[in-house]
Amino acid sequence: MSGVTRRDVLKLGGGAAAAGLGFPAVLRAQPKEVVMLGLWSFTGAFSDVGPVLDRGMKLALDERGMKVQGKPIKYITRDDETKAGSATRRAEEAVDSDGAKFIMGPWSSGVALAVSEVAKRKKVFHYFSGGTEDISGARCHRYSFQWAASPYTAAKTVVDTFMQANPKAKRWHLLVADYAFGWSVEKYVKEVGKGHGIEFVGADRHPLGEREFSNYVTKAAGNKPDVVVMINFGLDAVTGAREIFNFGLTPKIPLIMTWSSGVEELVQLAPEIRENLWVGSNFYYTADTPVAREFVKSYQAKFGNPPGYAPAAAYGMTRMTLAAMDKAKSTEVADVVKACEGLELDDLVGRMRVDPKTHQTLRPYFFMRCKKKDAMKGPMDFADIIATGSTPLPAEYAACKDIGSL
Amino acid sequence: MLYALMGIGLSIITGVLNIPNFAHGALFALGAYFLFTLIQLLGNFWLALLLAPLGVGLLGALIEYAGIRPLYKAGHDYQLLLTFGLSLIVTEGIIVVWSPVGMSQLPPPLLRGGVDLGITFYPKYRLFVMAAAALLVLGAWLFLEKTRYGAIMRAGIEDKEMVSLLGIDIHRLFTAAFALGCVLAGVAGALTAPIRGLNPWMGVDMLGIAFVVVALAGLGNLLGSIVAGLLLGVAQSLVALVWPEASVAVIFAVMAAVLLARPQGLFGIR
Repeated sequence: MSGVTRRDVLKLGGGAAAAGLGFPAVLRAQPKEVVMLGLWSFTGAFSDVGPVLDRGMKLALDERGMKVQGKPIKYITRDDETKAGSATRRAEEAVDSDGAKFIMGPWSSGVALAVSEVAKRKKVFHYFSGGTEDISGARCHRYSFQWAASPYTAAKTVVDTFMQANPKAKRWHLLVADYAFGWSVEKYVKEVGKGHGIEFVGADRHPLGEREFSNYVTKAAGNKPDVVVMINFGLDAVTGAREIFNFGLTPKIPLIMTWSSGVEELVQLAPEIRENLWVGSNFYYTADTPVAREFVKSYQAKFGNPPGYAPAAAYGMTRMTLAAMDKAKSTEVADVVKACEGLELDDLVGRMRVDPKTHQTLRPYFFMRCKKKDAMKGPMDFADIIATGSTPLPAEYAACKDIGSL
Repeated sequence: MLYALMGIGLSIITGVLNIPNFAHGALFALGAYFLFTLIQLLGNFWLALLLAPLGVGLLGALIEYAGIRPLYKAGHDYQLLLTFGLSLIVTEGIIVVWSPVGMSQLPPPLLRGGVDLGITFYPKYRLFVMAAAALLVLGAWLFLEKTRYGAIMRAGIEDKEMVSLLGIDIHRLFTAAFALGCVLAGVAGALTAPIRGLNPWMGVDMLGIAFVVVALAGLGNLLGSIVAGLLLGVAQSLVALVWPEASVAVIFAVMAAVLLARPQGLFGIR
């Protein structure tokens, strides 16, 4: 007979049970991962922007050694395909299967509005940067935040500065992307324009992803405007600017790109097309702030060219989110949301404050004038910043009346 | 007219070689990129416009000789896979050599700006492209209809075995047909560059349209390709005036309508 007694067996069983019960406690003591989702367009109309957005977010996380509040950060990405249906599906999958609690993106305003609903339903933190005012306006809620300047701030900066430089250019023809972003910016360009006595001689809307602008430009030319104003983005803006030049409108009359990605669009246009081009943007790489200088330096060192608005937005949103976690001393969504409301710091584009009532990040907007070919000091020396403006949306326009509860 | 140029090129290749050339769009893009680089090197738009399509044609001859020819006996699926693979290789090659970032190519100084046509204002370069493409279509038509080699090519489309039995080197005919189709894709790409700019995926849309032209025309029908190309261009422009969102969809709507009424295409007999 072996020397194992009933008492020994019971001891072993008891020990094993104790170990089993204790194991979950050991697991709980481990630092839990903070899962952050970059919901970017790798296919579809904004597929060219997805990879640079990814770069921006990675840079911000790398700066922190992929850690926040003592916990490791797990960065995951999903392709939103620049479609609302795909974006919401991917976001829900990432939340349910991967435990994502913090969503950055997506890039398209229309797509982001759909993802914002997912954030509200799933109670996850969502930071977005884009031209629709609805995220911090009519469809505001506690879980979504807006990093880009308000369309009003943008319109005010662009229209006021341009009219100061060109007081006689009062016949404006607008070319507007026909979706949430275009409508928001158009509304305020017209509103601010009234104050300057601007006559809007035409306003054509084109679908997202338009590649044939000749009909729109023919109409614009027929209206004999003093200035053509585009409220579109990415390849739409590049294609439109090229066509306006081909028709001989620019550089004879100025062209304004109201809400541009900056570098990513300007690099695709020949210097001749950029002559007499005026550009509004949420970021330009010569922005003179300590954070921007460091960001531009490390981005250029890593990728060989200066960052435009897209990587800057991804970088900026991620930094704001991490700053909110630091302020909250927590990575729980509810704590981070509360900490982000009213968060105020000197960051990428200067002084930034998150309005707790609307979740709009109050911040400067940039207006540039492109340089002539012979004034450029290098191939990437596209423009000079001629103004920054940070006039917030006046209270009478604010559509976010009650941001609700968590 | 650019649609007609693409359609004729694809129609020749499809007709003579009996291969749906999925690389046709990528070769269109390559024509634009060759033009861009040649202008940088030579500083002359016109010389670049002449040489860029020839470069694409030479590459086409090489593709036929080294890639497609060994697969003639292997069957249709392999040729199809080859041209599809080539389209990916050419597109990725463009990204490696020229970068994925889009670029602009200006028209020559003589053709910059617009002219007032009385009823409308129109860019000089677009007028030039219309005229140049019309001349090229006419040239291709005359070559195929009035020259001996054109007759051989048409005969090749109709009955390859018979052409071969008549003592004509059918392999040389295949190489020439593929190269000619590629030249036409290259010239369409080069002419398009100052209008649409350049990006590695610029051929994707054009490939779809070229296939629509071929289907609409009737397989291998060259006159049909011209008519179908013009028809699609006019339909797209008219729809864009009243309903811009539908300007791409109308291409496929026209194709569906024609094929429902005439499954063999406008001019097809098979």
